Amino acid sequence: MALFVAGLSHKNAPVELREQLALEEDKLRELLRDVAATGAAREAVVLSTCNRVEVYAVAEAPGEARAAMFRHLCRHRGVDPAAVEAALYTHLEGDAVRHAFRVTASLDSMMIGEPQILGQVKDAFALAQSCETVGPALHTMFTQAFAVAKKVRTETEIARHAVSVSFAAVELAKKIFGGLAGKAILLVGAGKMSELAARHLVEQGAFPIYVANRTWARAQDLARALAGTPVPFDALDAALAGADIVITSTAASEPVVALDRARGAMHGRGARPLFFIDIAVPRNVEASVNTLDNVYCYDIDDLRQVVDANIRERLREAQRAEALVEREVARYLARLGDVEVIPTIVSLRERLEEIRAGEVRRTLARLGGASPETREAIEALSAAIVNKILHAPITKLRESSRAGSSRSWLDLVHELFALGRK
Amino acid sequence: MHAILMNLAILAYVVATGLAFAYLVERQEWIHRLARVATGAGWALQTTALVALGHALGRPPLGSLPEAVSVAVWVLVLLEMWLERRSGLKVLGAFVLPIVLVFSLKSAAAHQQLPEIVPTLSGAWLWVHIGLALIGIAAFALNFAGALMYLLQERQLKARRPGALYYRLPDLETLDRLTYRTLALGFPFLTTGLVLGVLWAGAAWGSVFAFDPLALLSAVAWVIYAGTLAGRAAGWHGRRAAYFAVIGFAALVLTLGAGLFLPGRHG
Repeated sequence: MALFVAGLSHKNAPVELREQLALEEDKLRELLRDVAATGAAREAVVLSTCNRVEVYAVAEAPGEARAAMFRHLCRHRGVDPAAVEAALYTHLEGDAVRHAFRVTASLDSMMIGEPQILGQVKDAFALAQSCETVGPALHTMFTQAFAVAKKVRTETEIARHAVSVSFAAVELAKKIFGGLAGKAILLVGAGKMSELAARHLVEQGAFPIYVANRTWARAQDLARALAGTPVPFDALDAALAGADIVITSTAASEPVVALDRARGAMHGRGARPLFFIDIAVPRNVEASVNTLDNVYCYDIDDLRQVVDANIRERLREAQRAEALVEREVARYLARLGDVEVIPTIVSLRERLEEIRAGEVRRTLARLGGASPETREAIEALSAAIVNKILHAPITKLRESSRAGSSRSWLDLVHELFALGRK
Repeated sequence: MHAILMNLAILAYVVATGLAFAYLVERQEWIHRLARVATGAGWALQTTALVALGHALGRPPLGSLPEAVSVAVWVLVLLEMWLERRSGLKVLGAFVLPIVLVFSLKSAAAHQQLPEIVPTLSGAWLWVHIGLALIGIAAFALNFAGALMYLLQERQLKARRPGALYYRLPDLETLDRLTYRTLALGFPFLTTGLVLGVLWAGAAWGSVFAFDPLALLSAVAWVIYAGTLAGRAAGWHGRRAAYFAVIGFAALVLTLGAGLFLPGRHG
C-alpha cells in the first residue's frame, strides 16, 4: 500500500495541455466513482485548477493506479495519453506528503502565496469525501496540510505584500497614514483601475469620496457607483485641499496637478500628508510634486516597482516557508511512523503485563500471610523490571519507524515475544 | 559586587542588541522573544547592580554622572520594554538598544572608581533634580529612536523604491505619534529637573550657570526641545519634527559627554 501523487502543473505543462485536462465537478465525481468501483486505488483525491491537475491516491500498485486514472482522464477529454504521460510527475510517500503540503501552502503556485489554492484543495478534498474515496491516510494528510498552510500564512509573510498595482497603492497609503479610516479620497478622471483602487481604499475605511471629471455627467455616474460626491472640475483646488489620497487618471496631455497647485493644496493642512496615486499615462501629476514635504507621489511605474519589490519580498519569505514545511513534513512522517509501530508496542506491553501479573499472583498465593507492604513491594518490583526490559525494544521500534525501516523490526519483535499475528 | 553585576547586565544588553538586529533582518518570532528575554535579564541584573551600588555607597546611585547615566539607561530600558509591549512595535529594540549599549559602556568605563561625594552635594532636592532629568533623558532617547525610524521610513516612501526597511518599519503616522508622545513625556521631566537644578545651584553655590558646561549645554538642549514642542503646537509634524528630535538628542548626548569629559561641578 503506497501513497502517491501524480499530475501536471504550470511548472512543467503548457496551458494548452492543462486546460484540456481540467475537469468540471460532475466529471470529477465520475472519475472518483470509477476509481472506487474498479478498485484501482484504495483512496483518491483529485485536484483540478487552471494551474494544475493532480491525483492524490493510496493504492497497492501506484504505477497501475496512476495509469488507470490518467487513462480515464484522457479518454474523457480526448487527449493523447502519450502527451500527458510525458508531462506527468509522480511523488511517492514522504515526497507526496511534501508536495501536498507545499501545494496547499501556496508554495508551488504560479504567484507564490496566492490565497485561492487553499480553498481549491479544500474543495477537492470535500468532493472526494462526498464520493467516499477519502480514507484514513488521505484524511490525516490533508487535514495536516490545511493546518500547515494556515501556519505558513500566519508565521511567514508570503501572502502579505500586494502583487497587484491597486493593492500596492492601498498598502502604501497604509504606510503613510497608518489606518485609512476617515481619509478622504479624490478621484480625478474616471477609469477602471482608479475605480478599483478607490474601492480597495473604501474597504479599508477610507471616506468620503469625491469625484472630479471634465465631463460632469461622468463625475456623477462614478460618484453614484462609489457612493461619493461629484465635484466640478474648476473646484479642483478646493477638493485637493480637503483630500488625503488623490487618484488621477485623466487623459490630459499636460499635468493636471503642477507643483504650484500641489503646494497650494498643502497650505494650511497641518500634519496631514497628501498621497498622489497617478495611474495616468502621460502622467497627471508633475514629478517634482514628490519633492514637497509630506507629499508622496507615485506614478504607474513606481507602483509597478513596488509590486516587483513585493514579489521579491514574498520570494524571500517563501524560503522561510519552505523550511517550515520541511519541518512539518518530518514531524508528520515521524508521527505516521509511530502510528505504524504503536499496535506492536501495545501488544508487547500487554504480553509482558500478562506474564508479570500471573507470576505475582502465584507468588503472593504461596506467601500466604504476607503484609500489605510486602505485597506492594513485590508489585512495584515486578513492574519496574518489566519497564526496564521494555525500554530498549520500544525505543528501538520508534527509532526504526522514523528511519523507515520498521518492517523487519516489527517482524522480529513479534517472533521473539510470540505476539501472534499483527 | 555591583561591578560584576553591571558587567553581566551589559553583556545581556550586548546579546539583546545583537538579537534585535537579527530580528530586524530575519523577522523570526523566536528571535524577538529571545531578544526580549535578554533585555529583561539585562534590566534585572542592572537593577540588582544599582541596588548593590546604592547599598555600598549609602545613598542613591546618582551622585556622579556615570552613576546617573547608568540610572538613565535603566529607565530607558524599562520604557523601551513597556512601549514595545504596549504598541507591538517589535523593531523598537533594534533602535533603542544600541543607545542603551553605548551609554552603559560609557558609564561602566567611568564606573571603576567610586567618586567621593562632594560635600556641597546633598539634600533631597538634589536627588529629585537628578532623577527627573534622567527620566526626561530616557524619554528623549526614545524620542530620538522614533524620529530615526520616521526619517528612515519617510526616505523609503519618498524614494519610491521600497527596501527591506520599508517592510520592517511601521507606518509614518505611528512613528510620528511615537515621537510626539515621547517629546510630550520627556519635556516636563527635563524642565522640572532643570528648574530644580537651577534653584538648588543658586542656593548651594550662589550662582546658577557659573562656567559649568553641563548646565549650559543642557539649557541648549532644553531650548531645542521647547522649540520643537512649540512648533508641534503650531502644526509642525513629520520630517521637521523628526530632525529636531535628532538635533535635540545630539545636544543631550553632547551635554552628557561634556559632563563625562570636561571639568565642571557635575563631576
